[in-house]
Amino acid sequence: MNNLLTLDAVSWAVENQTILSNISFDVAQGDILGIIGPNGAGKTSLLKCLLNQTKNWQGSIKLKNKSISHYKPHELAQTFALVVQKSPPIFELKVYDVVRMGLLPYKTLFARDTDIDKKEIILALKKVGLATSKNKLFNTLSGGEQQRVLIAKALVQKAKILVLDEPTNHLDIFYQHQILQLVKALKITVVMTIHDLNLAAQYCTRIVLLNKGTLVSDSTVDEALNPTTLSKVFGLPCFRDNVQQYPNSKVATVPRVHFYPNNTNIPISVGKN
Amino acid sequence: MLLLSNVKGKNAWIFTGLFILTIFSLVSAITFGAAEINSVDVLQCVLSDCATPMHDMVVWQVRIPRVLVGLVAGMGLACAGAILQNVTRNPLADPYLFGIISGAGLGATIATLVVTDEQMLVLPMAAFLGALFSVTIVFGIATLLRNMNHLLLTGVAVSFMLSSISHFILYLGDPFATNRVIFWLMGSLTSVEMFHFYLIATMILVTLVTIFALHRQIDALLLGDESAASLGVNVDKLRIILLALCAAVTATIVAYCGGIGFVGLMVPHIVRQLLGVTTMPLIIGSALVGGCFLVWVDVLARSILANVEIPIGIITSAIGSIFFLAIMYRTRKTG
Repeated sequence: MNNLLTLDAVSWAVENQTILSNISFDVAQGDILGIIGPNGAGKTSLLKCLLNQTKNWQGSIKLKNKSISHYKPHELAQTFALVVQKSPPIFELKVYDVVRMGLLPYKTLFARDTDIDKKEIILALKKVGLATSKNKLFNTLSGGEQQRVLIAKALVQKAKILVLDEPTNHLDIFYQHQILQLVKALKITVVMTIHDLNLAAQYCTRIVLLNKGTLVSDSTVDEALNPTTLSKVFGLPCFRDNVQQYPNSKVATVPRVHFYPNNTNIPISVGKN
Repeated sequence: MLLLSNVKGKNAWIFTGLFILTIFSLVSAITFGAAEINSVDVLQCVLSDCATPMHDMVVWQVRIPRVLVGLVAGMGLACAGAILQNVTRNPLADPYLFGIISGAGLGATIATLVVTDEQMLVLPMAAFLGALFSVTIVFGIATLLRNMNHLLLTGVAVSFMLSSISHFILYLGDPFATNRVIFWLMGSLTSVEMFHFYLIATMILVTLVTIFALHRQIDALLLGDESAASLGVNVDKLRIILLALCAAVTATIVAYCGGIGFVGLMVPHIVRQLLGVTTMPLIIGSALVGGCFLVWVDVLARSILANVEIPIGIITSAIGSIFFLAIMYRTRKTG
């Protein structure tokens, strides 16, 4: 058993409304796990449970065979790094300041930055290709660059598991691939929610499909992209083909799915399913 | 300066400059005042012995306590403002927008009803308790609403509520009481003593030590609560500690100096332009700039009108309100 993370019957309800129900799966060292599913499926909620950022969830989440609730906050922070940017920071943070935050889990109360810390920050920025931007304002960077800064922060955090919430949102196709290639090249365990199924197919090693708070499937990419299941979950007719990824690539083909509304108008008054 | 020893480059020069400015402000502010004493005599008084007992009295009993209290009050208000702005991620946060002035005013008002003599002891205490009371209410309501973004709006609402209670009591009550209470509403450094300096300075020391301990955690808040929590910060606990600290510092200052508004709002904005947004340089810079600022505003208050002192809070609020509008205009342009 080489499981880094084990989820067993994780459930979460708020005011009698089920958000997650009985979710179990494992994450092995080196996995790039994609969590997919429609809006409101519980993808982000599941990440919150993983990071122990919410209370009242039931079941067990074990990190290296020890329940995450038994870890101290700074120990969890040395394992999980969250890469998410929902709203821009109000104040004019510099890129360097953002990456520097990654030192926090390793610092005692009065500790100052050492020269080694400073070198580490610069090294992390080099790895994401932003060493020359260290004095730029974070707010002025493009969405893709901001994501890369946050990944540099995660590198300084020396996290074993990178947690990304919709890393490709608001990015154009070039930056979508750039960010996912970067994530893949880091060769660490990744857990991410992702909307684009075909990007998930291309970069993930495993896929967890959620719908309405329950686990539909936990499988390889090939099995996960099952048109029948996907069409049921997303409420649209779904077709699949395989495409050549790269010439001479080890992965000869990548499964690809397409959704067609079938020339019928989707009524806006009703939800999916 | 030991803690700043790893600051290099531009910031080191700015800190040195601010430090020199602070010393210069302290020394030169002592030479201003109602009594006609020339600068040479004042300096002689400070450095060796005074020329006359009158000089001794004016310099050591009146001017030095006043300038020193002005310095630490400015430091405290600016630090509290900077901490609140970073902790709530709201650039318009100011200790006074949390209902602290109106709370202190209400405390003082009630005290004038209960006791009439010994007011110099009872009124500051009552003002202090009133200030803490309002902060507790504001924070309590914001917690109930489960939304820290509403902290400021809650503060404004509670301010009006407490002010209206004060005004009601004053309207019905003794007209002389109004005169005593008005001091807390306008702010003044006229009746300060060395004891107040020691008290406020101690609070600032506690604040600075706390900030040195927690600066990384406060920095982490700047990217959002979720991000801070993922770095191992207990966001709610951190916020409560820091809000309580700011409330205590501000309440102490209000208790002895009255309502001096907008220093905490303005100073951190100026310092951010000079030293950046991270907590350590921001707080230390704010302390120095805030101290100098209030010392000079007090000099203005003493010397603009002949024979009349203007309450210091009137000047800071006048400057502050214009500054407030300027910030909003600037955010509109850039945002």
